[in-house]
Formats: sequence, C-alpha cells, structure tokens
Amino acid sequence: MENTSVSVSSILIVILEGKRFGLTANCTSYVFHHISKSSFFFLYDSSKVQEEVDLTRDGIYYFSPEDTPIDQQELLCGQLAGVCRCVSELSSSPVRLLHLRKSKYAVRMKDKFLWALSCVVDIPDVSVCDLLDQLIALFCFYNGPVRQSYQLYSKQELALRWARYLCHLQGGSTELHHIFSCLRTIDSTHIDPLLLLKAALILQACQRCPLVLAGCILYRGRVVSTQMPPALTVKVMVYETQTYSQDFQVTANGLSSLVGSPFSSTATTQVFLMPTELHMLRCPPVDRACRYKSRSFLSKKSSFVRSRLLSRTLSDTPTTDTDSSSLDPTHCPPPSYKTVPSSPRSSLSDELCFSPSPSRVNTPIHSNLMNQSEYFTPDSHVHSTSNGTNLCAVEEHLAGLNIKQDIDANSGSETKSNGLNSDQDIQSEEIKAPANGYEQSNCLDNHSDLDSQIKSEENKLDANNHVTNKNGNGETEEEAKTKSKQINRKLKEKNEPTNTPSPHETLEDTSLVPLVLYQHRVKGLVLALLVEPEFITDHSAREEVHHSSLASLNGLEAHLRNTSPGTPGPPGPYTFAHYDCIQNTLTTNVCGRSVGPQDQAFVKATKLVHSHFSRLDTLQEAIVRNASSAVYGTRTTAQETYFLQQGTPVRNSGSPDPQDSAFSLPRKARLRLLKHGVNLL
Amino acid sequence: MKCLLLANESAEVLFYWTDTEFEQRVQEQYGVSQEEGERLPAFEDSINTLFAPIIISCSTMVDRLGDNYTSFSTENNHIYVLHQFEECLYIAVNGDGDETEEDLKRKIFVMKKLTEIMFGMVTFSGALLRKELRPQDTEQRNRLWKKLRSLLETYSRLRENDQSFLVEAVERLIHPTLCEQCIEFLERRLVQQINSNMDRMGEEVLHAFILVHTKLLAFYSSRNASNLYSSDLLALIILVQDLYPSKINLDETSEELESSSVPEVFYTPEPSPPERESVRQRGDSPPVFQFVDPDVQMAEDSLQTLEAPTPDPSAPSRVFLESKECPMPHSMYCLPLWPGITLVLLTKIPNSHVATSVCYFLEAFVKLEKRLCEGHEGAAAMRGQPSVQEQRSRLEKLIKTWAGMDIQTSQLQNAWTDFKNKAFICCPLCTGSFLQLSAWAAVKKLMDWKDFLLVKSKRNITMEFPGLIHFIYVDRSNGQMIAPSLNVTDRTVSELGKGPLADFIKKKVWSLVATAQRYLQKGYATVTLRDGDYFYCYFLWFENETGYKLEVIDIPSSPDDGAPVGMLTCDYYRKLLRYYSKKHQNEVVKCYELFTVHLGVIPNEYILQHCSQLARKLWEPTRIPLL
Repeated sequence: MENTSVSVSSILIVILEGKRFGLTANCTSYVFHHISKSSFFFLYDSSKVQEEVDLTRDGIYYFSPEDTPIDQQELLCGQLAGVCRCVSELSSSPVRLLHLRKSKYAVRMKDKFLWALSCVVDIPDVSVCDLLDQLIALFCFYNGPVRQSYQLYSKQELALRWARYLCHLQGGSTELHHIFSCLRTIDSTHIDPLLLLKAALILQACQRCPLVLAGCILYRGRVVSTQMPPALTVKVMVYETQTYSQDFQVTANGLSSLVGSPFSSTATTQVFLMPTELHMLRCPPVDRACRYKSRSFLSKKSSFVRSRLLSRTLSDTPTTDTDSSSLDPTHCPPPSYKTVPSSPRSSLSDELCFSPSPSRVNTPIHSNLMNQSEYFTPDSHVHSTSNGTNLCAVEEHLAGLNIKQDIDANSGSETKSNGLNSDQDIQSEEIKAPANGYEQSNCLDNHSDLDSQIKSEENKLDANNHVTNKNGNGETEEEAKTKSKQINRKLKEKNEPTNTPSPHETLEDTSLVPLVLYQHRVKGLVLALLVEPEFITDHSAREEVHHSSLASLNGLEAHLRNTSPGTPGPPGPYTFAHYDCIQNTLTTNVCGRSVGPQDQAFVKATKLVHSHFSRLDTLQEAIVRNASSAVYGTRTTAQETYFLQQGTPVRNSGSPDPQDSAFSLPRKARLRLLKHGVNLL
Repeated sequence: MKCLLLANESAEVLFYWTDTEFEQRVQEQYGVSQEEGERLPAFEDSINTLFAPIIISCSTMVDRLGDNYTSFSTENNHIYVLHQFEECLYIAVNGDGDETEEDLKRKIFVMKKLTEIMFGMVTFSGALLRKELRPQDTEQRNRLWKKLRSLLETYSRLRENDQSFLVEAVERLIHPTLCEQCIEFLERRLVQQINSNMDRMGEEVLHAFILVHTKLLAFYSSRNASNLYSSDLLALIILVQDLYPSKINLDETSEELESSSVPEVFYTPEPSPPERESVRQRGDSPPVFQFVDPDVQMAEDSLQTLEAPTPDPSAPSRVFLESKECPMPHSMYCLPLWPGITLVLLTKIPNSHVATSVCYFLEAFVKLEKRLCEGHEGAAAMRGQPSVQEQRSRLEKLIKTWAGMDIQTSQLQNAWTDFKNKAFICCPLCTGSFLQLSAWAAVKKLMDWKDFLLVKSKRNITMEFPGLIHFIYVDRSNGQMIAPSLNVTDRTVSELGKGPLADFIKKKVWSLVATAQRYLQKGYATVTLRDGDYFYCYFLWFENETGYKLEVIDIPSSPDDGAPVGMLTCDYYRKLLRYYSKKHQNEVVKCYELFTVHLGVIPNEYILQHCSQLARKLWEPTRIPLL
C-alpha cells in the first residue's frame, strides 16, 4: 500500500512537471481534427515558459501557417515541446524526429529553442530533416544567431522572414525536388554550353578581386553557374526563387514589365556564415594563391590591376605565388590587407554602424510579403536616397533584408543603410571598441544567454577587428572594460535574465562570421557574390567588379532571354531521375505537377529506395517491383539514379523468373539515360 | 539500453521491463535511492515519473488532435516507439542500436500477443487488464511481472537467434518417414488413448506436437479440433522455450554472454535444474519424470498456475487460442522428453464454451459503455445492434443457465469474476501416472532418433548452388519455413562455418528480411538489392494447390503505424491470402516467399536462375503432410 502513495505522489509530480513542460494544455474543448492536413513549422522558446503562470503563447516565436488559431498553436507547441524535452532528458540527447500517425516532424532543439517542421508521413525522414536544417541555416545566414536576432528584431519582423525562407524551401517545383532537397538549375539541355562557360568565366573574373570569395549566377530563380557549395547556393537564392517560382505568378508578372526597360542594380546584404562554410570558401580545393598575388598588386597599384582585370581569359592567370600564410583558413584577412594604406574604404563598421538609423521599433508592418521586384526598381532607390523618412525605412524593412542598395549611376559612391540594420548597428558601434577586452569578457562568465549574445557581438567585432586596428583606434583596457559593461547593461535591459544557463549552449551559433552578399541584377539575371565585409567600403574593388562584369552580364542575360525555354519533348517510354549528390542537382523527366499514375508509382518507389540508400551506405542498387511497375535505383558516392520503364508489364507471377522484365531494367537504364548525359557504366 | 512499458490512460504503469543498462541510466540520472528492499518500488516509481509526461501528452494528442505519437528518435539514435491498443499504451525504447524502429514495434505487438495468449478476453477491457496485470498484492504482481519479463526476454532471444522467429514461420524437421511415424504415434498412442480415458474430467486433447528445440517434428490435431493458427503456434513455442530454454543457439559463448550481459533483473527461470542435470549425467538412459506434487495453492485463479515458481510438467498453463468467435481457453501441458525435445498437448477444458458467451457480453458491454460515454447521439449507430433491453434479457437467460451450473450470480460484477474463475479454473488433465505413461511411450518411440534429431535440428537442409550463401523459403499458407541453419556460436560448424563470417552473414540475412518486409508493407513483392559484395533477392508469389503460379496482384500498401509484417502478430499473411483469395474464389490459394543471399560477383542471370530452381526444389518438402 506504500506503493500507492508513492505512485500518487509521482503522479502529482508528473502533473506539475507537465505544467512546467506545457503539457497540460488549456482545457478548451476545441478539437483540431483537421490538423494533419497541412504542414506546420514553428519556433518555440521554452525559456519563456518556465513558471506555471507563463503562457505557452509567450514561447511561440513563429508559427506557420500563421492563421492557425492560437489555441491550436499552443496545443501543438506545448505538447511537442514538452514531450521532446522529456525524451531528450531521458536520452540525454535532443530529439531529432517525431512521428505521429498522420504526420511527422523534423525537430531541432538547441539553447532552449525548439524548431519543428512537419510533413506527410511518406516523405523520407532524411528529406524532412534536411529541409528543417536548411531552413534554420537560411535564417542564420541572413540574420545571424537566432537568440540575438530575436533580441534585435520583433517577432513580427522575423515572422516575415521565416515565412519567406519557408516559402523558398517548400516552393520546389516537384515532389522529387523535395525528396532530394536539391537546387533548382536551369535546364542545361536547352542552353548553348558556351553560355554556361561564359557564366563560369564571369564568376572567375569576379574572383580576381581579392575581396570576392565565391559567386553564383542565377537566371529567373534558377542556377546557371555557381562556385559555392550547394548549401550556400541555396541560401543565396532565396529571393530569386521566390520571385520566379510558380507560386508567385503575380510577382513574376510584375517583373516582366520591368524586363523591357534598361534596368540594372546592385545591392549588398550582410550575411552570416558558419566557420566551416567560410573555411571552404577561403580554402577551396583548387590552388588560388594567384588571387593573393593579384591582391598584392591591388595594394600597390590598383589602377594597374583594374586595367588588367578588365580583359582576361582563363589563361592569363598569373603564376602561383606560394604564400602559405595567406592560405591560412583560420585567419581570414590575409596579411596583405593590413598593408593597404587607409584606402577610401574607411571601414565596414563605419558604413554599417554610423549610418542614420531610422526608428525601427514602432514601424507598422505590412500584412503581406512585399513584392520583391519592386525592391530592385529605381523607384525604391528614390526612397532610399530620401533616406530619413520613415516611410522609406518601412519599405525597405518590409523587404525583410538588411540590404543596402545603390544604383549603377551612383556606383557605390554612397551607401545607404536602411532601417533594419539600425539597432544592430548601434550595438556594433558600441561593441566595436572593447575589442581588446574580448578575451577577458569571454572568461568572465560563460553561462548566460547574454553571454552568448555578447560573444556573438564580439565575434562580429572580431571579424572587423583588423579594420579597427588599422585605423589605429587603440583603446586602453580600462575603456574596453567599461564599454563591455555598458553593453552588458544594455543587453540585460533587452532581455530579462530569466534564462537558466544551459549546458547545451554551443558556440556554433555564436561563432557565425559576418560576410557580405553582393548582388548585381541585370533584369532576370543575378550575379551574387559572397565578399569580404571590406568590399562594401572598398570603392575601387566594387567598381572593378561592377564594371568588369557588367558587359558580360548584359550579354549573358540577352542570350538567356532569347533562348527558348524549350518545350519538354514527348515523354519517353520511361521515367527517370538523376540526382547529383555533389552539386545537389536533379535531372528528371518527371514534369511539374501533372503526374500520371506511372509517375506516381515512380515517385513512390524513389522515395522508398532513396530512404533506403540514405540508411545503408553499402547499398549500391535496388530493383523493387509491384504488379504495375518496376523501378531500378542505383547509386555511387556522387549520384543516385532512378529508372522506370513505362508500359504495361507482361503477365507475371512474381515468382523467381530470369525472364522477368524487371531484371532487364539496369541494362535499359544504362542505354536510355546516356542521351540525358547520365553515365551508369 | 532497452525498455518496454505498458501504461493505461491515467499514466499508471501496468508492466515494465528494462535491461540493466537502462535501469542504471535511470538511477544515475535521477539518483534514485538504492536501499535494499526499497529498490524495486523506488525504481518503478521513477519509471513512472519519467514516462508520465509522455503518456499524458499522448492522451492529450488523441483527445484534441485525433492523432498520436508513433515514435521519437534522438540525435544519439535512441528510439522510442509508441503504440496505443485501446486504453493501453505501449512504449518501447532502445538506446544501444541493437533494434530498429520496426523491431521495437514488433516487440510491442508480440508483447500484446503474449498478454492475449495469457489473459484472453480480459485484454478487451482496459479496466480488467489493469486488474490482471497489476494485482494489488505486490508479491503476486512481482511474480506475474517476472513471468512476463521472462517471456519477453525469451522472445527477444529467439528473434535474435532463430530464423523461424525472424520470418515468423514454424520450421519443420524434414524427415518424412520419422515425421509420419511420429504423427501416427501422437494419434494412436497419445490423443486417442487419453481422450478415451474416462478419468480426464471433461478435458479433451485437441492438439499434440513434438518440438525439437524450436523446430516442429510432428503435429497432430484431433478430428473435432479447430484450426491452430500459426501465430498461436509460434506464441506457444515461446512459452515452451521459456519453460525449457534450449541452449542450442547459445552454447558456451552465449553462456558467457548471459552471465556478463544478462543482469539479475532478467528473471530467467531455472527450468527444473535437477532433472536436467540428472538426464545429462545418465547420458543415454531414458529420462524419468520426477513428478512434483501439483502446487497445492493453485486453483483460485489461473494466474497462480502461471506463477508457479518451478514449472511442473504435469501442471498445465492456461492459454487462450484464437478461434473464430473469441480467444478460447485451453490447457497446455509441456513434457520435456530430453533437453531440447518437448512434447506439447493442448486440451479443451470442460467449461470452455462459457468463454464464448462471456466474450460476447464483454464485447457488448464495452460497446455499450462507449456509447453511453459518447452520449446518446449514437442512437442512430445503435441500429443494427441489439438494444440494451435485448442484451439484458439475453444476459439474464445466460445467468439462469449458469445458475444451473452452480455459479454464483448475485451481482453482475461478481458474476463476471466467477465466470472468469470458472472458465479459468485449471484441473490437471492427467494424473501423474497417466502422463508419465504417455511420456514414457514417447520417449521409447523417439529413443533411437534422439541424437539424430538433435543434429538434424541444426542441419536441417543443405544447399548445392555455387555462389548461393543463404536462403529462406517460407510457405505462408501453412506458416512454415525451410532454411539452412545459421548457428553462429555453435560448436558444430554450420554450412557457413563459424565465427565472424557466419555472424556477418547472419546480420545480413536479418537485415534482408527486415528490408523485404518494409518493401512488402509498401506493396512491393519483388526486391533485389546489391549491397557490398552480396546480392539479395526477395520474392513473394501465389500458387494454386497444384503449384501453378498465379498472376501477381497489386498488394495494398499498409500504413506506417499498422501491424508489422509477420505471422506472430496480427497475422499479415493471413490477411494477404484472404485479400488475394477474393479474386480466386474457386481455388485454394497458397503464398510463398523466398529470400536469398548470393555472392555479388555471380552474374544476375545465374542468380535469378538459381532462385527459380531453388523455389522449384523446395516446393516438394513442404508437401509433407502435417495432418
């Protein structure tokens, strides 16, 4: 009988726990049976819901679809967060995947945050997990660490961004694209290969500027050529894909009206890269020592370099200069930077931080996503230059991006900062000084969330550090300390220090490195470059890149525009999908949304086999057959290929039979796919 | 790190099983006090606390979203699988990578099957099941849980080592002459004799079979017996293996394993050790049954029988077997002839017909209760179902009949308990002497064959296809399989030799079956895979009785949260056959499966030819009649 009392007390504890975990939902009798129909995404901060009095809704940072009743949002977030927490405590590891009968959720848990993205059950686990990771990475790419972003911007502002990223990632054209979460590329079969070469050359030319790390060229939301790893390319594409995706026909139409007018603009955006990504960019597998060579040219005689850059071919690459120190991945700006005499580029932070900061906080928010094309029109530039009016700030604000934009005419001579950056900028400005105190404050206390924020600020600062040093703004340690305290206070005001220290608090987030995304648009064509922050202020570098690529871009755009999209030929007697794991691209003849029964069978089998491939590394090929279809899947480390021969299969018993047509699929696939450039030999 | 847990909707743990790793982890993490004596309740309590948020959240999800969790997985690859049967929630956890999500789901379904075998219709009602699984008396509860844990561990051991539990089909010893002789023996010397004995107190032997380890040597059903389903036969083999674990697959290495990895919480029952020892010592001399007097305390409740500390061969276990109407109570007698060879008798108990009525009313009341809970909106739904009045008059009629049978009927609740007791009461079928007699007869019969059988059970079939590494052939219509043995740890060398290679192949075979089942669940009946240096094939097809291959059909793909593909649990293949038979009303439809593992260097054409020849060759042995 002692037992009973024990279990009663345990139940009590449980109920309390449940409350703490947000398990005991508000007991309205509303039942949400339709819930499984749609796909959900939410970001939940459990540090906001700690006490019994705390409302679950306070922890909900973002919930999609946004028109979901708040009761339902609370229910889902509360339950899932509670259960995930319970399970992760039991296993001392964050939950990664959560299956329900009618749907499944990819989950990420980090620093008290919980992201969850749902999809229907038949999407492979690996695909939905990838999608969620991409989504989070995308957010961090444009906004920096999540916690910090929510300290700087309001939930509503960031909601717009989440919505946009979600839309970007989910707006893939076919289900197959979702399964492989691959990049959307232009259909290279209908394009003159010389154009692709030309695109690659443009990118290489841009890289001559030492501040340019890597780039990609997009046409109407699809990749033409890229130098970046796929994970980065997909991030850079956000705005483009949306503009041109089928879901945004209206926008696209709006843009097509612009196409006629001579129109070109450049924009820069602050972005954040993970150290590994940056490492890859700064230390690409190919020897790029030549770049550093030219960099030294630049520092000595920029005019000479420019003239050199204006005409180049692949063959005029200067001989390699084995300056090993400049290849050091950890220390980004090569020493040559420092030798640059105070150039016209005062410093990144100067531009970034001292710009007028239109008030951010109380600006009204548009209810719908802004038309992207508008953002790049000269009109918006007019707003831009009449800087200071709140209206302009709001407009740009709505673009959801901290883009600084300028127009060819001005060619970067002046850079306007828009509203979005303001708050952050102020902080950066203040933080900039205590650079020397960096180490120190790092050791002071390693626990609170505040700390992580400070660290991130410091990191940002660290990245700009050389600039400061260069300007000779040496500060004493004392000063640094005081400033750092000020920051602390400021941050404390922003963020109630209720958060308990979490052992999970990794530095991953906080070690994001700020870079700049430079975009040069020529109608439907966009040149996107990831550049060092100095690029913004380095007038001559910008000019170089701009002028050296402008003509080529115009030419490329004209060619691409005149290339007919190529009506897909009559579907062959087979269906195939070829996924390049390295480039993250997909070639397929399954078109769009109108899929016939054979295509459906193909997609179903592809899902299963892809999922199997992802689980079992040693698996090389598979044939799966039901009564109506047989699908052959094969893979190497670099690719996965799926093939289905159409037509009604011959009468078959399914018993082992060497004559069975299913077993001739590998041979057929090898033959048929050669003409699609897929070599299975 | 493993755990399995049963809880009801009020987050009360009805049963749990953990391995030591899990227990240690929980204790480390939560600093549960480990004082002697208090250890168990404290641990149970912490288990309760740990899982309660999940259990509570489950019911919230069901109530408010009409959906429920089916699994969680964490970044360090811990897997949690959840499944709700009526009011009972099962949670299975694995944190050591030994089991997949599918394995855990299967384990849950097997656990369910085991409770059904043990408690029959009680499992229909959450409240009754709670009473059975969680007796108030701690002592009694511990004994029951110990039994259940032991069963679960036996199943896990078989699933891990025995191919017949991998594909969930009974393996037969292929020796037509001996098989025939044994069947004849079972019929003439056992079933007929016992059933003609007036002393049997209304009991009647329905089925009798001889097991050599887990393999079936002979099976005989009396004429008026109903069909014994493969799922039940497999479950009974688990029960027998639990009583008399055969060490065939475990041998020396696994004994080490057992002592090192199997903790004391593994309540592996010692199956009458003195007997076994004596048998071994005496070598060839026939074993003697040392009948212990039947447990004096048994009677009140069938559970007592189950909980008897040492298995007494003459004390039957109550088992509930599937029948068309309801789970029918039977008595199961297990007689170990030699270590590894067991004779099993299944008898019909005198009052078993009561079960049908009890079952009927139980179901009716559960439905009624549900309707009442839902309010009276279900009035429309009530049409077509007997009204409450009708039910009541039927029940009264029944109670009157039963009253004639000296059964107390004062209150409905009491009545139920009494009926249950009546239905469950075990009366040992045979007196010691009689049973001894039949056992002696069996022993004499099999004496000369004993050694052969034990070896045969390890090398049932051999192969002669070059490049073929392993195969499993299953006849799903009668739930039987044939495969070369894969005795990884055995002293005797199997076809594959022993040691790491055999172990590697074993892993491959296990994963092939799991893969094939996953594809089958999604409707794919033919699968070939090239994985590393090996080539795997899986085929499922239908034939008519003469062996003519029938046309393939589209097999419906089942939902992810459905029952696992297999026979032991929710017999997937029985449903599949029923589905196929709808299109072939005029013929008897048979369903076969073939799994093969070949060396990858063999050209595909040859591999497929092998498979086709193999299927033809293996068709014959399965023709051996079982009666």
